[in-house]
Amino acid sequence: MNSIWVIAKNTFKEAIRDRILYGILGFAVFYLLTDLFFARLALGDVSMVKSFGLAGIYVCGVVVTVFLGASVLYKEIESRTLYFVISKPVTRAEIVLGKFFGLFAAIALTISAMAAIYLGVVGYEAREFDMLGLLAILFELFEMGFFVALLLFFSSFASPLTATIYSSILLFSGHLLELVLENAAQIGGITLRLVSGAYYILPNLEKFNIRGLAAHHTMISWPVGISVFVYAVAYSTLLLYFAIICFKRREL
Amino acid sequence: MIEISRLTKIYAGRRVVDGLSFSVQKGRVFGFLGQNGAGKTTVIKVVVGISLSDEGCVRIEGLPAGDVAIKEKIGFMPEAPYFYARLTGLEFLRFCGDLFRNRRSKDTASHEELLKEVGIYEARDKRISTYSKGMKQRLGFAQALVNDPDYVFLDEPLDGLDPIGRREIKEIIKRLKTRGKTIFFNSHILYDTEELCDDVGIIHEGKLLYSGPVKEFCAGRPLEAAFINTIEAVSRT
Repeated sequence: MNSIWVIAKNTFKEAIRDRILYGILGFAVFYLLTDLFFARLALGDVSMVKSFGLAGIYVCGVVVTVFLGASVLYKEIESRTLYFVISKPVTRAEIVLGKFFGLFAAIALTISAMAAIYLGVVGYEAREFDMLGLLAILFELFEMGFFVALLLFFSSFASPLTATIYSSILLFSGHLLELVLENAAQIGGITLRLVSGAYYILPNLEKFNIRGLAAHHTMISWPVGISVFVYAVAYSTLLLYFAIICFKRREL
Repeated sequence: MIEISRLTKIYAGRRVVDGLSFSVQKGRVFGFLGQNGAGKTTVIKVVVGISLSDEGCVRIEGLPAGDVAIKEKIGFMPEAPYFYARLTGLEFLRFCGDLFRNRRSKDTASHEELLKEVGIYEARDKRISTYSKGMKQRLGFAQALVNDPDYVFLDEPLDGLDPIGRREIKEIIKRLKTRGKTIFFNSHILYDTEELCDDVGIIHEGKLLYSGPVKEFCAGRPLEAAFINTIEAVSRT
């Protein structure tokens, strides 16, 4: 447990000292501040301000996660920095988990910074504290946790580019599955069976998307919220388990 | 005691280490010598638990290599080490020390002492990305000693160091020996090796040619001459 904490702390420290992270964060701040300009165009329609802001936080969160997560294990194997760690009393499972928690903490910090600006912008425009917006950002954070686990899994055996492509495809398809299933239901037959199979095997990431609901003041129930949290934890745990298996077999 | 028994490692169908068996007694300085690509680094990686053997086994104090309990007692410096460039030297040493259970490894004062010993104390708060090759080599050496290990494994420890740096590292190795540490190092710099070692192992194309006291191997000749004669004799057959 101590080793996981030490590796997580080190990964976090390394991540937040990366200049490129600040470049992305700077862009995100600029983007969120332009929300003030869009608020004028929307003639006081706060839901548009919220949609724009929440979508921006999501996209920047994905970019930061890809940037930090895609190469994390691969880079350390290639550069042999892992030799220092593996020769210490540390298991490979602890390395994977430490990397996960460290990266997730860095991403959570970045998203928190964007959330603070978002809440400031919405507070200024709508004179309210956007509790639902905050909940939507929390759900985005759950999705980023899943995405970090996915990137770590691919990074345990593939190059950063391959890991990014595979993860992005899964992220994209994970958001389209519900829509594809609805369309397949109209076609029926083998198409429906194939899509249904994919629907149950692949992650359904639309579960994490409550941005539209939050923008239009629609509350979600506690059971739904808890089930989404459990879904994120279960899927991430499964991915980390497979990442550990792959990493254990990897020749260094 | 380090015991290596019928150790074999296969990469892409090629036996890069082929049935190696030898042992290193406690408190001895053992130089593992061979040409580039002979299999030295592969052996050291298996011994410190980075790689797994395909056949045979390695035991340190009776425990299998890679066992977490034995990793508490070893220190390892990889060849041409790469670091977390955005950390400072002291932060890196603290990170390495925190991975051990014993309290001394986590003590900042002993980290600073170690940095003084390897001669990079003044640069302790500078980022590693600003370090020269020699400074990185010294930091790599310091992290191998952070847990006050009983067994120190060094992969080409003198590579990249200037003559003064080499002398300093050799002095540290000698001091470690007087403190009863067992030191196992790979090298192709034979002049320095002769001065430091009690025993040597000679590896050529994955096979062990000799293991035993350095004086017996040299038989009055300089180590370099004895090494070249041995390799050439094997290459001719």
